[in-house]
Amino acid sequence: MNRRDFLKKTVIAGAALAIPGTSGLFIKTLEAAEKSDLVEAHGLSPAAITKAAIDGLGGIKSFISRGDIVVVKPNIGWDRLPAYAATTNPEVVSAVITLCYEAGAKQVKVFDHSVVDPRRCYKQSGIYDAATAAGGVVSYIDDRKFCEVKLAGVALKSWPLYTEAIEADKFINIPIAKTHGLSTLTLGMKNLMGIMGSSRGRIHQSINGSLVDLAMAVRPSLTIIDAVRILTANGPQGGDLADVRQLNTVIAGRDQVAVDALGATLFGLKGANLGYVVAGHKAGLGNMDLTRLKIKKINV
Amino acid sequence: MIRKIRIATQGIFLLTFLWLFLQTESKGADELGYPVKIFLDADPLIFITTILSSHTWYNAFFLAIAVIAATILLGRVFCGWVCPLGTLNNMVGALQKRQASRAPLNWHWLKYCLLIFLITASLFSLQITGVFDPISLLIRSLSLSVYPAASYAARATFDMFYNLNIPVLTGISEFIYTLFKKIWLPFQQPFFLQSVFLGLLFFFILGLNLVEKRFWCKYLCPLGALLGLLSRFAALDRSVSEGCNSCGACTFDCQGSAAPDKKENWHKSECLACMNCDDLCPQNAVRFGFFKKTHPDGSPVASVDLGKRRVIGMILSGLAAVPLMRISAINKQAGASDPKLIRPPGSLDEKQFLACCVKCGECMKVCITNGLQPAFLEAGFEGIWSPVLVPRIGYCEYRCTLCGQVCPTGAIKKLELQVKEKIRIGTAMIDKGRCLPYAHSTPCLVCQEVCPTPKKAIWLEKAKVVNRNGNELTLNQPHVDLELCIGCGLCEAKCPILGQPAIYVTSIGETRSKDNQLLL
Repeated sequence: MNRRDFLKKTVIAGAALAIPGTSGLFIKTLEAAEKSDLVEAHGLSPAAITKAAIDGLGGIKSFISRGDIVVVKPNIGWDRLPAYAATTNPEVVSAVITLCYEAGAKQVKVFDHSVVDPRRCYKQSGIYDAATAAGGVVSYIDDRKFCEVKLAGVALKSWPLYTEAIEADKFINIPIAKTHGLSTLTLGMKNLMGIMGSSRGRIHQSINGSLVDLAMAVRPSLTIIDAVRILTANGPQGGDLADVRQLNTVIAGRDQVAVDALGATLFGLKGANLGYVVAGHKAGLGNMDLTRLKIKKINV
Repeated sequence: MIRKIRIATQGIFLLTFLWLFLQTESKGADELGYPVKIFLDADPLIFITTILSSHTWYNAFFLAIAVIAATILLGRVFCGWVCPLGTLNNMVGALQKRQASRAPLNWHWLKYCLLIFLITASLFSLQITGVFDPISLLIRSLSLSVYPAASYAARATFDMFYNLNIPVLTGISEFIYTLFKKIWLPFQQPFFLQSVFLGLLFFFILGLNLVEKRFWCKYLCPLGALLGLLSRFAALDRSVSEGCNSCGACTFDCQGSAAPDKKENWHKSECLACMNCDDLCPQNAVRFGFFKKTHPDGSPVASVDLGKRRVIGMILSGLAAVPLMRISAINKQAGASDPKLIRPPGSLDEKQFLACCVKCGECMKVCITNGLQPAFLEAGFEGIWSPVLVPRIGYCEYRCTLCGQVCPTGAIKKLELQVKEKIRIGTAMIDKGRCLPYAHSTPCLVCQEVCPTPKKAIWLEKAKVVNRNGNELTLNQPHVDLELCIGCGLCEAKCPILGQPAIYVTSIGETRSKDNQLLL
């Protein structure tokens, strides 16, 4: 079953999954196949900890098959330098691209629907240069490539999503951990907003439900939270180095909800504090109960 | 031969001009890497009138002085060999069939009248030269109208093929589209207020070539008039030998209608140094060179005969224009300027700004968000086509300083990034009647999310509200911190209340003004 078929079935099955009972079964079958559910890697080299985290999950080859078209989706939303922790660490991005090619990926595409001017975001974040150097095909969002996708959701019935993201064989989500609003965080699920078109500002009226609906449709193969630096205040745009904390950490996992739940602990919070994590857990998108998950911590 | 060299030179300058025009666009870094405003720097009319109106000396004056020196030495070579608008006029003029029977209009005096008017006005602080200056006019017309239109046409065509989705054809069209994007298409489709009007004006000026070739250059261009005056005693001169049999062949192709058939009594000020008369003379009797004595009888070069009445009339008009343009009610608002008159960061105080701005449109061309738009009457009549930020169209990018870098006269100062980030161009305020968390018990925090200042100028207050069903909700209600807001307008641009946003910026509090202030 390729990704496209999988997506189609997921979208159809989305409603069914949302019914309690069926969801648990689905997750258990997934869990059974894995060694560890989540990996948290620490170390001074962003590239090395990224590789270690992926290896801890079974290696890149358990995610990427030969000939895959892969989309790597970092956060390139803002016009900030990497030190300000508003955009994904470029070294983490290039490490993932390199690994994908090592696993035989045909092409690795990199893009994000930036909030401010994309030229500045791509350039100033360092991601354009780093990803290109690693062989990634970096492109700006082309407005023609959004197509209306039916979502089986509660909050969103349908929304224009980026076709290149939907049609890729594999989707790897690489958010950066940041604060957002007053106390909520932007982690993996929130980063998926980068493939949404139209007037995304409206999403905030029902952010939790919308993010779950979106995550149901996208279903990344792998989510890697970049916490080399995290932004602890004035997020998501930041701008003050005093708000940045150097954690030299990445978190990786297959389950978006679990990854976000573990990501919350970086800020001294729990998954239960984040509305969309709770909503995702309830909808059967993933498991936020960290006590039931195998978490591997690695120091590199 | 000379003709071919001249055409090649004109082509090189036009292509250089267009290439620099295309480079007036961000590629993500905060530098453009090319001297994109070099043609404006070399414009003596802008140079002289700006000094007169603003009483300030601006930086890149050596190029303008070089053009003045070249004109004194060689005559109007700038017009004939360099000016990109002159070359475009040439090109359109080539469409016109030669009409031998028709004598030129000989309205040369018109442009001198305009020049006198503009210089007098600038002497009394009114700078409206930019409206007529050929380089300003060309960059403005291209930036705000011609280029956006060309881009729109290209995109619409490629979109059509894209949507048709015919296997090979669409592949080819997408390949060309990618190539075009690399070579000449703008990063995003630009949109400008008044673009139709500015475009019609430009095409009208080009169309005048069909009435008479180089109509603009001969009869209207104030820069041509200035260079004409400077070229009266140019060292490069023309001589007609005894061989001339007065066949009149030279008159048809004289680009300035300088009466070349009148031998020694030709109009030197109108000569564009195109040297067509030298090239075409069947008798080979015409020669350009540095001669010791131009006029055997020692009489001065045939001068431009304006007549005292016209000169005095134009001086008086220039004088009258100053108060006339400044008695609009816009100029009487206790301290405040028009609330929508949000000037780009680094702009001088309004009075000084108007004395410097030449409405060339460079800042609007380079503006990364398309937010800088040509003013209509927000700044009075003298401020027409000067830049105004319209946050609904585009905000001011927090870490961008490009508009100050391309401004030719320093009306927008070139600022270091750290300085620019602290410049306030206005202040945002919230319309509680439209804001979702205030008026409609609906969560939203977009304005706070996007606010770019390091410590956010928008802060959220947790408030308990009751919705229609009597349920109590806790919502985040935004507030603007008047000390921190810089008026960039990102909040207004991204506010989900489209059309008439619930948060909007007005010019109050702008750093550049002493009077337009809010806080104590």
